[in-house]
Amino acid sequence: MSELPKTRHSAASFHGGIYLPPRKGKVLRHRIMPQPLPPSLTIPLQQGQGTPPTVVVEVGTRVLKYQLLAQATEENSVCAHAPTSGVVAAIGDCPVAEHGHPPRPCIQLRVDHQDEALELTANSDYLNLDDHEMRRLIESAGICGMGGAGFPSAQKLKAGLAQGVSLLIINAAECDPYICADEALLREHAREVVQGAEILRRASRATDCVIAIEKNKSAALQPLCEALSSSDIELALLEPRYPSGGERQLIQALNGRELARGSYPHDQGVLVFNVATAHASYKAVALGIPCVSRVCTLTGAPLITPKNFDVLIGTPVSFLLNLCGLEPLPTQEFIVGGAMMGRLLSDTSVALDKTSNCLIATSDEEFALPDSELPCIRCGRCAEVCPAKLQPQQLYGAVRAERMDLTSEFGLDACIECGACAYVCPSSIPLVQYFRAGKSASRSWQRQRNSAQRWQVRFTSHRRRLQLQRRARAANKAAKQRVDSAPPFSRAQAREEIAAAVARVKARREQLGVSTDDDAEERS
Amino acid sequence: MLELAASSPHLRTARRSESMMILLIIALLPGMLISSWFFGYGLLLNALCALLLSSLFEAMAVAMRGASVQAALGDRSVLVTALLFAIAVPPGSPWWLLASGLLFAVFIAKHAFGGLGQNPFNPAMSGFLFLLLAFPSQMSAWHIPAGGGSVLSLDALQQSLVAMFPGLATDGFVRDGMAMATPLMEHGAAAPAALPLAWSEGLPMWQPAGATGWELANLGYLAGGLLLLLWRVIDWRIPLTILLTMSGLVLLGDALHSESIRGSVYTQLLGGATLIAAFFVATDPETSATSRRARLAYGALIGTTAFVIREWAYYPDAMAIAVLFGNFSAPLLDEAFRPSIFGDNVGAGDRNRGTRA
Repeated sequence: MSELPKTRHSAASFHGGIYLPPRKGKVLRHRIMPQPLPPSLTIPLQQGQGTPPTVVVEVGTRVLKYQLLAQATEENSVCAHAPTSGVVAAIGDCPVAEHGHPPRPCIQLRVDHQDEALELTANSDYLNLDDHEMRRLIESAGICGMGGAGFPSAQKLKAGLAQGVSLLIINAAECDPYICADEALLREHAREVVQGAEILRRASRATDCVIAIEKNKSAALQPLCEALSSSDIELALLEPRYPSGGERQLIQALNGRELARGSYPHDQGVLVFNVATAHASYKAVALGIPCVSRVCTLTGAPLITPKNFDVLIGTPVSFLLNLCGLEPLPTQEFIVGGAMMGRLLSDTSVALDKTSNCLIATSDEEFALPDSELPCIRCGRCAEVCPAKLQPQQLYGAVRAERMDLTSEFGLDACIECGACAYVCPSSIPLVQYFRAGKSASRSWQRQRNSAQRWQVRFTSHRRRLQLQRRARAANKAAKQRVDSAPPFSRAQAREEIAAAVARVKARREQLGVSTDDDAEERS
Repeated sequence: MLELAASSPHLRTARRSESMMILLIIALLPGMLISSWFFGYGLLLNALCALLLSSLFEAMAVAMRGASVQAALGDRSVLVTALLFAIAVPPGSPWWLLASGLLFAVFIAKHAFGGLGQNPFNPAMSGFLFLLLAFPSQMSAWHIPAGGGSVLSLDALQQSLVAMFPGLATDGFVRDGMAMATPLMEHGAAAPAALPLAWSEGLPMWQPAGATGWELANLGYLAGGLLLLLWRVIDWRIPLTILLTMSGLVLLGDALHSESIRGSVYTQLLGGATLIAAFFVATDPETSATSRRARLAYGALIGTTAFVIREWAYYPDAMAIAVLFGNFSAPLLDEAFRPSIFGDNVGAGDRNRGTRA
């Protein structure tokens, strides 16, 4: 074996966390399956919290693989490209892979199975491109955070650049059970990932770069060490304690400091990118390939051959499930994302997007139905495991009582929804559900309070205005009364007064040296 | 009302509150069995009677509140309350004494505050203290079967049954057995001169069957408490701080040669209800402090209170009062020792760079 990579030791350990069964071995027996072609693709345009990009094709247009479908126009939108050749069948809102989300704008592509691609221009000397050009390539390739949030990577690089980046972290922790897409990617494409990390480091002008991985990721470690041996990118081995891959926990482990509540990693001079994002950046900058596919784990006991797939963005879930051979069960659900943080699917016709790293078919053996909820006995086990150092048992009480003032005091906004509390709760209380509901209730409470405050300000100023008006009216009335009580109007006195005024004006004019040509006007 | 949507996490531990309650009950058994070995059937009869009555009362209370009786009995918390209460009251207490105490424990101390998880005071100790105030004479006498035979003989069982159900008494039956006070009562009333003897021979006044039954029973509860620590049912902080505080205060008294401090670490810990209260009662999660530092403070508070009551108030049931005082202070301790939230405890430089409003 070649020389060992530079390693960085954990500077600090985050509070709490839990050891979970990985349940990844069965999937990792197989290599990543190359892009299966479904009959049609539904390409989601909106990523995460962003806005949808502007569609540049029309219904009926034949598009080639890698052709631009939608151009990012806003800061928080991401370009979309055709994952294969075909005809645009529809543009409109479709149900998305997130339970409870309203339909989102999508492009439906009828696949023609030709897989005819555009000519791409590769950059042989990609590491010597200037950082601005790198960011432009990353932006136009439609790359967003593929670990989950879907934030446009080019924007993140820019935000980091504005503050100055001292540490770039490539997150390969993958701490959620079942997911092994990143591990498989590293096993088969470690060199590309390391090159991608190098690109991201140059694009963000970061001084240090670390690839952080849990030390039980045995499939990925050897290829990664080999790929890193000729590089000065460091390797950090993390304790496999969930949620080691949480952004804030990861930064604390590598930097030794907690990230201030409400601030972003770049405020501390740190940027965190997922392994898949680094890989996509390599493909975009070095090979000119836009982001049209990603590695996704298909797993769960009801699948006959669970595998990792290099899936085209927009592939329907049902198509992939059929490829793996799904045994239908009476009570079965599908989870997009990991077992701890993933979301339940409403139905299997929905398509995968750039952030979908895992699809789990549940079974009663692995995912027991939630037990009936018992009263909280305040055992404090949740507080022991909370990586955000919250007191979930207190927070739960505040959320249930809808005491929104208390929830913010107890730090509801610091909750990262990792689910460690609900996992250990002996009373089977779905704490994350309560905290999510509490967060949205808290937001609307905040809105209401702000609006109430605004109206209060308006109301008080309205009252003051009325008061002033009343006072003015009273003053007018008093003045009028004074006029009324004055001696009766006499024509002679008025004339005198007018004459006096004219004389005053004349005198003033002469004093100022103004010619009296416009006397006529005055007379009129 | 909050709208709850199905949400992650999709995995759960298999460990539930019910199983923790069962572990608690199992951990109580060694002490209870040793105690019965030395003092007869009184405690077991107490326990049986308390289990039945408390389940009945729990079902009634829950039905009155319009909640699911099955779920309430299923959580098994009332069984733990019943056992702790049965251990606290004197063996051979009449059934109506147990009933009134449990009535208070279940209806007033638990369900009047909203049931499991909402009660600020430990129900078993509340019921016990209620009896101490309402029926002081019945509560001060421990019934131990009299006569030359073994405390485990059928005759002794009959005596214990009669003590529990006075109506069963037949003519010529000696109703009164040996009535005794708790060891610390004895000790509290004794002159300090008697203490060296207690230290060297291990509470010699308390050897009914030729063995130091009380101490052995307490060691049984200690073993149960250690099992609970091993099974991670309870946190080590509360029992450890209680025991350390009490020992520390005794040692401090010794070091200062204070005339008013009596007893030794040994009698403090193995006499009375110190161990059972430290491991089984004060650790009751519903009524104790929850965060780590608050638990340390909570344990120290209970230890200090118990010591003060024992030493200066001559009151034998110090632990129950100390635990209730701890319960009373727990919300304040939780508030005072609330740990900092992730990201709140950072340097000023970092905070200023943040976008925090």
